[in-house]
Amino acid sequence: MRLSSRKTKGPTVEMQMTTMIDVTFLLLIFFMATATFFPAERELSPAIKVNKPSSAQSSSHVEPAIVDIVRGDSGYMYKLGGREFATADELLAVLRRLENKNDGAFVRATNDAPFEMAATAIQTCRAAGFIGVSYVPKEE
Amino acid sequence: MRLAKSFHPKRMNMNMTSMIDVVFLLLIFFMTCSQISKANRTEVELPQLKGTDDQSRSEIIANIDSAGRLTVSGEPYSVPEFVAMCSREAARQHDNDPSRLMISVRADRRGDCRTVNQLVSGLTKLGVTKVRFAVKSQP
Repeated sequence: MRLSSRKTKGPTVEMQMTTMIDVTFLLLIFFMATATFFPAERELSPAIKVNKPSSAQSSSHVEPAIVDIVRGDSGYMYKLGGREFATADELLAVLRRLENKNDGAFVRATNDAPFEMAATAIQTCRAAGFIGVSYVPKEE
Repeated sequence: MRLAKSFHPKRMNMNMTSMIDVVFLLLIFFMTCSQISKANRTEVELPQLKGTDDQSRSEIIANIDSAGRLTVSGEPYSVPEFVAMCSREAARQHDNDPSRLMISVRADRRGDCRTVNQLVSGLTKLGVTKVRFAVKSQP
């Protein structure tokens, strides 16, 4: 009896990978691209206080810099001492001239003050060279 | 004369398995990352400032929209609820020392300071000494 010399082989299954790779690459490129669309966030890290700045411990006899966000005739303004400033650049110029940088600066904002101005005031104090900047909610 | 046999180039087989593995890995990584970042950070317009610091890791991210609503991981919170949650986190992770909590506040630049002030007052009473206000760098 002659046996078949051929071994039984099943049909070869071929997966069509081209479409799948196309879609996968498309998704990959989409996610990689959208992941870079958003610029990285940055931060301000002020100390937070509720006490009045005047009661804060000071290493010198000079009053610490206190920047208030106050409502003026033409909207909100920065107030340092008795002077009011419409822009952060004007405030920065005056803050730079102050000498008591080690005593820190305080930014006080009332509930109605725009948050953007409070954040700008904190960064302006830092840019002027104050070592520590504190954010103090101002009671109305 | 015997002529040369017709030339049959050798069929090249590319092994696609490893490439597909890597591609899928990257795909899943980017999909997961985008989902996680969306969960913690809601859409707020941050103040744009020059010369700020790089953002460091935060344990708790408080989002405050332009209307003053406070949300954490997409869930609305009141200020007392948020302070209580911070207190629980301090007890769980920092041996009841709230000053070691790393709290990031993402407040909308178009909003006012009302919720931020309430939050700062509550956190100060709890013993937190520092918060981080998220901002964007000015282009």
